[in-house]
Amino acid sequence: MNELLNIVFSTDFAFSILRVATPILFAALGALISNKAGIVNIGLEGIMLVSALTGVVVSAQTGSAWVGLAGAVLAGLLIAAILGFFTLKFRTHIILGGVAVNMFASGGTVFILYLVSGDKGASTSLKSEVLPNVRLPLVEDIPVLGPILSGHHLLTYVALLSVVAMYYLLKRMPLGLRIRSVGENPHAAQSVGVRVNRVQFTALLLSGLFASLGGAYMSMGYLSLFSRDMTAGRGWIGIAAEAVGRSTTVGTFLSSLVFGAADALANALQILKIPSELVATTPYVTTVVGLTVYAIAETRLKKRKARRHSPSDS
Amino acid sequence: MKQKWVLVVLLLALTLTACSKAGSNGGEASSGSSPSAGNSASASNSGALKVVLLIPGTLGDKSFFDAANAGLTKVKQELGAETKVIEMGTDQTKWEPTFNDVAGQDWDVIISGGSQITELLNATAEQHPDKTFINYDTDIQETAANVHAYSYATNEVSFLTGAVAALTSTSGMPNANPDKLIGFVGGMDIPGINAFLVGYIEGAKYAVPDIKVAISYAGDFANPGKGKELSLLQYNSGADLIFNVAGGTGLGVFEAAKEKKRYAIGVDSDQAAMMTGTDADKASLIVTSAIKKIDEVILSAVTKVKDGSLEMGKLEVVGIKENGVGLAENSIYSNVVPEDIRAKVEEIKTKLTSGEIKVDNAMGMDTAQIDEIRNSVKP
Repeated sequence: MNELLNIVFSTDFAFSILRVATPILFAALGALISNKAGIVNIGLEGIMLVSALTGVVVSAQTGSAWVGLAGAVLAGLLIAAILGFFTLKFRTHIILGGVAVNMFASGGTVFILYLVSGDKGASTSLKSEVLPNVRLPLVEDIPVLGPILSGHHLLTYVALLSVVAMYYLLKRMPLGLRIRSVGENPHAAQSVGVRVNRVQFTALLLSGLFASLGGAYMSMGYLSLFSRDMTAGRGWIGIAAEAVGRSTTVGTFLSSLVFGAADALANALQILKIPSELVATTPYVTTVVGLTVYAIAETRLKKRKARRHSPSDS
Repeated sequence: MKQKWVLVVLLLALTLTACSKAGSNGGEASSGSSPSAGNSASASNSGALKVVLLIPGTLGDKSFFDAANAGLTKVKQELGAETKVIEMGTDQTKWEPTFNDVAGQDWDVIISGGSQITELLNATAEQHPDKTFINYDTDIQETAANVHAYSYATNEVSFLTGAVAALTSTSGMPNANPDKLIGFVGGMDIPGINAFLVGYIEGAKYAVPDIKVAISYAGDFANPGKGKELSLLQYNSGADLIFNVAGGTGLGVFEAAKEKKRYAIGVDSDQAAMMTGTDADKASLIVTSAIKKIDEVILSAVTKVKDGSLEMGKLEVVGIKENGVGLAENSIYSNVVPEDIRAKVEEIKTKLTSGEIKVDNAMGMDTAQIDEIRNSVKP
């Protein structure tokens, strides 16, 4: 038990939560912005995978991590644009579009990897670049908090700043207002002159942007290579985190951290003399607990609303 | 309207070209990685043995399938046989028709491998009793009368890696620490992986009796991120070397090794060799790999078919003695690992060959027995 406390209350562990949560947070932000606009983008996993590969390939070709990042982002935007083109212009069902993106990404990345490197498993034969880790001056000198917050990968800080930006966008900016109005009632929005398709397309592009950053993080820092299906469901967990966070920016951020922490805890517990079968259930138990909390909160909210609207109360 | 039609035609054209490319890639042979094995041999040696290799998947995995392909190349070069490789892809529904087609053609020897393919291979063999079939990797005992199957003594080679790991941990090598702790990252808690683990633990204990082993399972063979996290934890808790048996997840182990400047051991193929060109720092930390010598096994099997000494209807377990498994003794191994350790490993290898050391096999064990072995070395 002592050993467990030592592991859980160490700065290493707290540091690893942020590290593990970063791709989940990016995906969750991508899910949040598209959901707010009323489109369910389930193609996040695929966009992440495509961006992860593009980052590796472009950085290996150009020798620059920054160009690689730009390539990854462009690839993510492109996939999101294609998805938007088919679903908004040609009215393909968004779920079908998302499924197509995911399937294309899983097979297509392997195909492109094979064309570029002659391998079908991993990009070990490409000399790709990684983005740097950043040490925060001043912050790193703070005891306890310093080693937790400083020294992360550049994109981890971008993820944290994205949360702030997302909050500001949705609450304060005209675009955020339009996105929310389109998501809540597209007909009403249209009646006051909002161009629904254009707003939804913008939201989808932003969603692609966040997912692509998550993908770039996976292959250009967290790891220094691409391997087939390397995102391993992080895009889906991001969608779950957004749902558990009840489609609010703060909620999404916190639930992403909880999912990250559950994963980090599951990893840490394996060191101890706890049966591995039990440890492996941690992320799923967390999901069930999260859903239970969500359900209870939702039911209470409904009851309160019902009471407010029922005539007997007045 | 006109624009739309143009778009549709363009899309169709794109689909067709994509299909034809994929088709030629799958139907023909390994055009990219080794053209020599792909093309059928010239008509000049028409009396030669005709050998076909059916890959249940695609080449380029830097592991099983590429090793089998390398074996076939050796068969062609050293035995002058006429060879062909067919990549059947990952869609299992296409395997059976391919098997039937190939069995109906005039091939003498049909080679395939993997536990997934075993049932199909046996069924096809029963329908074509005049052909010789070789299953180069399976765990299933049942074989048809005209099939020779191989299984690899992964526990024996893991015994060697365990010895290397434990001796490294207690050595004065630059990236080793005083803690007598080594690590193991497995893909899943399944018998195939635990066969490696039990051999690893026994080998480590044989070399250094009071060694401790940190054991983690990723629960996934394609999640290098998870592999890295698990390895970082093991390295942080004092392990100086990790043996990965986790497929794609294992690539994360090497990432962690590079970040923490500790050692690692690869699996299935020489995993240092695939990154020496691009990341020499990382490769130099992968001291060796536990390899299945699928290429050698295929070569020896076809050689035996040729002189008629291959015993059919039998599952043969190939170990250190039969040269079916072994350590990757590359330049990193000879440069990074000190001579006294290598001499000790050589000595253990001799004892394994002579049968003086017997390694337990996790394949037949129940969970309680494996748990007991695991707990005996937990830190």
